[in-house]
Amino acid sequence: MEEQEKKQHRAKHSGPKAERKRRRRLGALGAGQEEEDARKRNPKAFAVQSAVRMARTFRRTQDLKTKKHHIPVVDRTPLEPPPVVVVVVGPPKVGKSTLVRCLIRNFTRQKLVEIRGPVTIVSGKKRRLTIIECGCDINTMIDLAKVADLVLMLIDASFGFEMETFEFLNICQVHGFPKIMGVLTHLDTFKNNKQLKKTKKKLKHRFWTEVYPGAKLFYLSGMVHGEYQKQEIHNLGRFISVMKFRPLTWQTSHPYVLADRMEDLTNPEDVRINPKCDRKISLYGYLRGAHLKTKSQIHVPGVGDFTVGDVSFLPDPCALPEQQKKRSLNEKEKLVYAPLSGVGGIVYDKDAVYIDLGGSHAHENEEEEVRPNHELVQSLISSHSTIDAKMASSKVSLFMDSRPLDSEDVEGQEFVMPKEEREIDLKTGRVRRKAVFEEEKENDDAVSDEEDDQEEEMSEDGSDGDDEDDAEEESDRELLGEEVAVGSAKRLKKEVTKEEAVNELPAFADSDDDLEMSSEGEGKTTPEENEMEEEDDDEQGSYENESSDSDSEAARRGVAKSEQDEISREHKEMKSETSCHSLKKKAVLTTDSGNCTAEEASESEVENSSMDEGDDEEGSHEESEFEVLDRKGFQRTQEKKIGSVKQTELEAVEDEEEDDVENLLKEEEEYEETIDFSADTAGALKWKEDLTQKAAQVFLRQQSTPNLRKLVYGAVAEDEDRESENEADELGGLFHVSRPDKESKQKANALDCSKFLIEKPQDWDLEEVMSSIRDCFVTGKWEEDKDAAKLLEEDEELYGDFEDLETGVVHKGKSAAEGDESGSEQEEKEGKKSKPEAEEEEKKKERMDKKRKLKEMFDAEYDEGDATYFDDLKEEMHKQAQLNRAEFEDQDDETRVQYEGFRPGMYVRIEIENVPCEFVLNFDPHYPIILGGLGNSEGNVGYVQLRLKKHRWYKKILKTRDPLILSLGWRRFQTIPMFYIEDHNGRHRLLKYTPQHMHCGATFWGPITPQGTGFLAVQSVSGTTPDFRIAATGVVLDLDKSITIVKKLKLTGFPFKIFKNTSFIKGMFNSQLEVAKFEGAAIRTVSGIRGQIKKALRAPAGAFRATFEDKLLMSDIVFVRTWYPVSIPAFYNPVTSLLKPAGEKDSWRGMKTTGQLRQERGIKLKQNKDSLYKPIVREKRHFNKLHIPKALQKALPFKNKPKNLEKKGKTPRDQWRPAVIREPHERKISALLSALSTVNNYKIKKAKVKHRQQLKEYLKVKQKEEEQKLKRQKEAKKKIYRMLGQREKKRQKSSLKGSSEGEKNM
Amino acid sequence: MSGRSQCLSYAGCNFLRQRLVLSTLSGRPLKIRKIRAKEEDPGLRDFEASFIRLIDKVTNGSRIEINQTGTTLYYQPGLLYGGSLEHDCSPSRSIGYYLESLLCLAPFMKHPLKIVLRGVTNDQVDPSVDVLKATALPLLKKFGIDGESLEIKINRRGMPPKGGGEILFACPVKKVLQPIQFTDPGKIKRIRGTAYSVRVSPQMANRMVESARSILNKFLPDIYIYTDHMKGVNSGKSPGFGLCLVAETINGTILSAELASNPQGQGAAVLPEELGQNCAKLLLEEVYRGGCVDSTNQSLALLLMTLGQQDVSKVLLGPLSPYTIEFLRHLRSFFQIMFKIEMKSPEEEHKGGEKVLMTCVGVGFSNLSKTIR
Repeated sequence: MEEQEKKQHRAKHSGPKAERKRRRRLGALGAGQEEEDARKRNPKAFAVQSAVRMARTFRRTQDLKTKKHHIPVVDRTPLEPPPVVVVVVGPPKVGKSTLVRCLIRNFTRQKLVEIRGPVTIVSGKKRRLTIIECGCDINTMIDLAKVADLVLMLIDASFGFEMETFEFLNICQVHGFPKIMGVLTHLDTFKNNKQLKKTKKKLKHRFWTEVYPGAKLFYLSGMVHGEYQKQEIHNLGRFISVMKFRPLTWQTSHPYVLADRMEDLTNPEDVRINPKCDRKISLYGYLRGAHLKTKSQIHVPGVGDFTVGDVSFLPDPCALPEQQKKRSLNEKEKLVYAPLSGVGGIVYDKDAVYIDLGGSHAHENEEEEVRPNHELVQSLISSHSTIDAKMASSKVSLFMDSRPLDSEDVEGQEFVMPKEEREIDLKTGRVRRKAVFEEEKENDDAVSDEEDDQEEEMSEDGSDGDDEDDAEEESDRELLGEEVAVGSAKRLKKEVTKEEAVNELPAFADSDDDLEMSSEGEGKTTPEENEMEEEDDDEQGSYENESSDSDSEAARRGVAKSEQDEISREHKEMKSETSCHSLKKKAVLTTDSGNCTAEEASESEVENSSMDEGDDEEGSHEESEFEVLDRKGFQRTQEKKIGSVKQTELEAVEDEEEDDVENLLKEEEEYEETIDFSADTAGALKWKEDLTQKAAQVFLRQQSTPNLRKLVYGAVAEDEDRESENEADELGGLFHVSRPDKESKQKANALDCSKFLIEKPQDWDLEEVMSSIRDCFVTGKWEEDKDAAKLLEEDEELYGDFEDLETGVVHKGKSAAEGDESGSEQEEKEGKKSKPEAEEEEKKKERMDKKRKLKEMFDAEYDEGDATYFDDLKEEMHKQAQLNRAEFEDQDDETRVQYEGFRPGMYVRIEIENVPCEFVLNFDPHYPIILGGLGNSEGNVGYVQLRLKKHRWYKKILKTRDPLILSLGWRRFQTIPMFYIEDHNGRHRLLKYTPQHMHCGATFWGPITPQGTGFLAVQSVSGTTPDFRIAATGVVLDLDKSITIVKKLKLTGFPFKIFKNTSFIKGMFNSQLEVAKFEGAAIRTVSGIRGQIKKALRAPAGAFRATFEDKLLMSDIVFVRTWYPVSIPAFYNPVTSLLKPAGEKDSWRGMKTTGQLRQERGIKLKQNKDSLYKPIVREKRHFNKLHIPKALQKALPFKNKPKNLEKKGKTPRDQWRPAVIREPHERKISALLSALSTVNNYKIKKAKVKHRQQLKEYLKVKQKEEEQKLKRQKEAKKKIYRMLGQREKKRQKSSLKGSSEGEKNM
Repeated sequence: MSGRSQCLSYAGCNFLRQRLVLSTLSGRPLKIRKIRAKEEDPGLRDFEASFIRLIDKVTNGSRIEINQTGTTLYYQPGLLYGGSLEHDCSPSRSIGYYLESLLCLAPFMKHPLKIVLRGVTNDQVDPSVDVLKATALPLLKKFGIDGESLEIKINRRGMPPKGGGEILFACPVKKVLQPIQFTDPGKIKRIRGTAYSVRVSPQMANRMVESARSILNKFLPDIYIYTDHMKGVNSGKSPGFGLCLVAETINGTILSAELASNPQGQGAAVLPEELGQNCAKLLLEEVYRGGCVDSTNQSLALLLMTLGQQDVSKVLLGPLSPYTIEFLRHLRSFFQIMFKIEMKSPEEEHKGGEKVLMTCVGVGFSNLSKTIR
């Protein structure tokens, strides 16, 4: 990359920004008086007006603050997170594909023609996106909602919301709510601007109610040449690449992979023989969510459950740019990776591979340099068979005419060889046992440990027991390889490792170094040994030459090691790293290093038939060594230990030839003597008794890291392949690998006890032994940073300088320099480093420490006063997150994967076996393939209890025992739920249908999923309906293996004999035994009389005596109410929609409901006659006559007495009047008379009417006259009264006059 | 269902308890073959049968199949149920044998476990109830399994061979465990203990205390050993005495040691003085081994670390016992969890032997049995 000349930044000198900056600067200087805070300028305005009001506002702000709090969770996002999954959803024809294409173009400047499956792109310095389009098939929607981080929800503004949108929102809500961003398209169809505005607003508010108020809604105004406007897409891209995501519970607790590549690994021959055979496939993709462990369970929605076969991580095909300094991405860093759509170089066809040479810079050569891993990826991608397969098929012939070795053999060799070869040094006559390691077995550890022991004892200085058998074992393995390769009959050699107790060896201590060390350090090793080691050296050298492609700068050892690592791990695709076997030398004063576990030892005990011989021989051998080395100044304890070590060795040596037994027979006795001497309490053969424990114990004191790890887990970076173990029985047709049975490693049938017995306690009376734990007690010496005295001193240092103002005495603390000096002195005493720079460093460190301490004190005083519980919790989580990140950071991926599992963000390849062939045959990249990891026992099945509510938009109610398709966890499956409601007493009563607007419970038989997981139910995943498809939603409440649902069952009976309150009831039960079961049960009659079952009767079977609160009638029906447990059909049917042929993937049909079946086949339901409705016929009621007794009648008053209106009896016949029969003449007369009378009547009638009329008229006239008469009279009266009045007036007048006259007169 | 988790297969009766416990917790079925197949009396022993019965009691829906000779056991785990239970343990092993496994399972039940175990409370083979009470319960508390109902109560003491003891173990239910970082054992601040004696002279306990103190006083003045002499019906059916010692550090680490007298009629009689001294020495040995968890509870600590959230847990242990080593292997096969094992030699001289730092990432286990409301 060429360095670009960058323009220097020029600060603005004018404009608002510069102005603002200047003002700020002035303010900082204290010059900007006028800019002062209003609060200061006008304090009265901000004074407290009302305490109550203030309290209220305070409370409110606090409420708002706490509302914002979420429960803090540990942030488990990895440092290099996987690409963000962006799902583009929407109804058909809304512009999803166009949007995806535009986004890809926006980020990568590449135009993808056809997009199939997920597309991963680098969108920024720290962000990658995996964009995937979601079809309208509800299966796809469900699957993608579970893995989405961000949902782009496309809405056709010209049409409005469609059902798909709401369905998807609902699915999201159930499975954890990812970020959702709405995108309005087709806005150019609006011609009217006002209409457009209105629609936008309406849609926005509806969207807000669904998602959350203020959710982002994006507007794509229109298309230009079939694409969205560039600026708008750019803005959308900006939004996406700065978005933050909240972790979703399900996603963070489960690993998952959105596969972007699939390969069929089945043997073609198998397919040829049986085209329908189960397949073995590998799926590729970024691991997301949690850590994935090998051999864990996964579920592939739409296919089924599988066990992960083999997982390996690959170099990132779409890596983030490495340099972070630049502002924006280089064109070449804008990667796009979509193998399913043929981007990333290759398109797979059935029988060929096409390499795509598209892209803007496809022909540039720099690409290789920019992306160093590109080549590797390409090669990985372009290989037909995986490296595993290649490795498996490749063979190496070691000898001219030997059977070629294949990888399995090699693997077997390196992991399985439990062999121990024995060499006899001809010159010294020493027996050296070569441990040929098979990493799986701890056996070998034991052996190698033994070797260590031997070496130690051989070495003249009684230095430590170093446990570098790791290195040794490697070297040994390597040596073996060399030997075989050279084909010479050279004996295997072994180097004596020898270090100073204090020496820190570099990481890969191997033979070479040891040689150097030993030769230059002390000339104590025998010349023979030296020679041998040199030979070793040469061999290795030649070996190295052969392997020239290794890193040149690595040390020779390192090279050799890496080589051997390659050999050992060629089945891995990655080169093995060189640091995984880093060894730690340690300096231990004690001499014992009998590293052997109880199991191993015991195993050998069990197996070794000629144990005693071996013991003796070995013991004598040891003894001889002892003598040669002339170690005398050993303490008793040490000797004891050595003794036990020897015993260990005796035990562990198994396959030794007994060639030198005879030579050493003499020394046997001596050996035993020493043993006796050392073991104070033991009898003659007591030392043999608990050899295993002793050995284990001694070993355990001395275990070292890689050793211990190997002891526990077998090989370090090797996954336990039991298959390979079984296969590798013969090596190259030459060596027969004799391996003890795996089970016999530990005593299979030993006592199961967790106690860690101490068989050889140290002698705690001795002062040295006692002092070894002296500091474990509070009475012992304390560490510097915790010692009270020391702390006091330091405090003095910090606060020492002060002047007592009252007395004027100046107290001087110890100066810092002094402290430093003393520190350095101490250092020197410790005798570690005396170099000046080290001193400097130490000083610096001390200063830093002091500073930190001061800062902590300050913080404690001022900051942590108002730390709330919430803050503490957050802090704790933060610390944990940091620890999680830091713990395995320094380890390489290969090792790390073993501890943590595959961490999210890795690009992994997962092999799965036994996949139905339809998955491969009907593979359609448009449908997402998700590998969802399952937790512990989530692969099991049981009864799951749910809280369920029918969706309010779903039109029908759901029926118990109708199959329903649930989406729960990763899975989609059909099952038969039973609905129930919980009674007040906790009883789960079966319901026939879901309630309309209420939650109810449901139980089904299916996969166990953690409580609190949301689910949704649909009745069918096939076809399209205009209606809302989601039938119900809810949450898992409980998991169980038994059912708690009951339904009501009433047993009825009839009384057959009734006493006062006691009755005998029959017909309820069939036998005495049944009755006995129900004794004491409450019964009731239909009329409401309560009672109790007492005891069975003998006579009619099943009859019983019962008591009631009242006397029954014979017509009463008695019943007892019981609860009958309902059985739930064990029906669990995963929706295998991905197995359907292409084009029919959305047409999966499961079990049909009885209603559907009936309708299809035209089966009429046979109805119970009793439950049919009939016309109501009401009989006329008939009442009897009231009967009053005679006595009462007599007593009654007459008024109330029934009147004896007896019917007249029949008139006797003789009293009947004779019928009159008229003569014809008489008849005529009567007829005439009647006619005349009729006429007469008529006349009378007429006359009457006429008379009435006349009368009326007369009355009228009369009335008139009357009125007139009255009128006249009135007038007359008026006249008279007036006259009378006038006269009166006159009289008065006159009288008045008269009086006045009279006065005048007077 | 194609994806049933595959069955794990083992041979031999050793580590039966941890296999069954891990199988129950991980939900993976288990098959154990060749149980004492080549011995004179093949098959499961009475105490193992009793243990399997106990597992059956605390679970719901588990399937246990044993062949006719008792040499093969198939176990398909159900869900842990809990509740109030009673169990008569076989007197051939002490209650500790059963209690150790219950301690692993109890926090993950559906209902809080409250179980009465009857049998031998203290013997020479298994960790006694006293020790588990003193060490395992504080350990559980470290993982957040806390509450007033967490207790072990010794109602009656029973010594081998006849037993007759009775204890009550109650444990609350937890949904998730919290990770621990427990790498600094701290310094021992006090030593406590219990000297018990049943159906022997009450003076025995005092004699043990005296002798144990004589050794421990060289290290620490703060020693208090309770004497517990049970009488009458509380004293079980066999005579015996013993001592268990517990050392507690300033950081809450608890180390323990114990010794019990030989069962009646087996072996030579033990002097209480000798027993007290030996027990004190065992405690010193345990201190020498050191670590933050004492040697009997190593596997419990590692299990709870494994079952934690997906966070890093660390604990410093003394040398790993063979039982723990096998337990680690089993953890790997049941939970695919591998521990990072680092040797730590104490930086200072007088702090005992080598330590092992165990680090792991939890599996993110959650209690599937617990009901939510």
